[in-house]
Amino acid sequence: MTPEAADVLKGAIALVGYGLAAVGPGIGIGIVVGNAIQAMARQPEAAGMARTTMFLGIAFTEALALIGFVLFFIA
Amino acid sequence: MESVILAASECDVSEEIICAPKDVLELFFFEEALFSIGEFHFTRTVFLIFLAMFIVLGLLYFGLRKGEKVPSKFGAAIEALVTFVKEDIAIGIIGPEGVKYAPYLLAVFMFVIIGNLFEVTPLINFPITSRMAIPLFISLVTWVIFVFVGFKKNGIRYLTDLIWPKSVPIALRWLVGIIEFVSTFLLRPVTLAVRLFANLVAGHLMLTLLLASGWIFISSVGDIGLRAVIGLPWFIFGLGIYVFEIVVAVLQAYIITLLSAVYVQTSVHPEH
Repeated sequence: MTPEAADVLKGAIALVGYGLAAVGPGIGIGIVVGNAIQAMARQPEAAGMARTTMFLGIAFTEALALIGFVLFFIA
Repeated sequence: MESVILAASECDVSEEIICAPKDVLELFFFEEALFSIGEFHFTRTVFLIFLAMFIVLGLLYFGLRKGEKVPSKFGAAIEALVTFVKEDIAIGIIGPEGVKYAPYLLAVFMFVIIGNLFEVTPLINFPITSRMAIPLFISLVTWVIFVFVGFKKNGIRYLTDLIWPKSVPIALRWLVGIIEFVSTFLLRPVTLAVRLFANLVAGHLMLTLLLASGWIFISSVGDIGLRAVIGLPWFIFGLGIYVFEIVVAVLQAYIITLLSAVYVQTSVHPEH
């Protein structure tokens, strides 16, 4: 395999890796936001607290996808 | 933007359909320094950092200046922003003693929000938080603060409770201890910095690619008509992402402030 082909292949594999890394956080953010909306709908007076906690949960979940994104550039 | 256009202008648009830049890393290279004082090279990024600092200082100085009996609309808006950080983030998350950390959180929030909004400011279009140095420095300062506060409030028990948690069954303590130690002292600052950095880099790249490729396609209207038809949806899609990026810029500033407050809170009250 020539070095150029190896480079292209490495980039392609990194792209697939990023795609895989984005699956889990995507599902996770869906669960977080869905449950937060449910909490807000059931108890509108606690919506502020639920929203803050939702953003925290999103931030923690999203970190995995973002690490995958950075690794894609490093690779 | 310039690199993409340069890379695209290198190839002959009338013959080649796909025109990839040779090296995407070009987009991340530091540009030539405008001038240097000794070891300090003043690039465009450095000027933008100073600009952000002066904008933050100016907003706070002119917004909260004493002497006016009735605050103007601008003053009321700045006051609402400061109250939001102080009441909702500092006191709401950390508790009554959070007032002490409000100035730091306000500084982080204002600087990051101005730095992020540079991304969608016409003619600047470059978020300074998409250079790793800025988010990393902010998260390291947060790290120093929460480790210092943890040791000051709890003494050595801050460390021993982390690596030998009493509330966990004894057989699992070493495992939970290792996970807690790594996640608290190593992963926290890294993820805090990477979250902001990667969001802004992703947004900046997306805007650059969509708008620049749309523009290149449209501007080649004389050569191939089909290209303009392809380019227009991309350009419109780019403008849609532009609006989305304003939301991301504000949200990421909020999230980094919120997480800094949460990390300090876990050091102030380690049990909860």
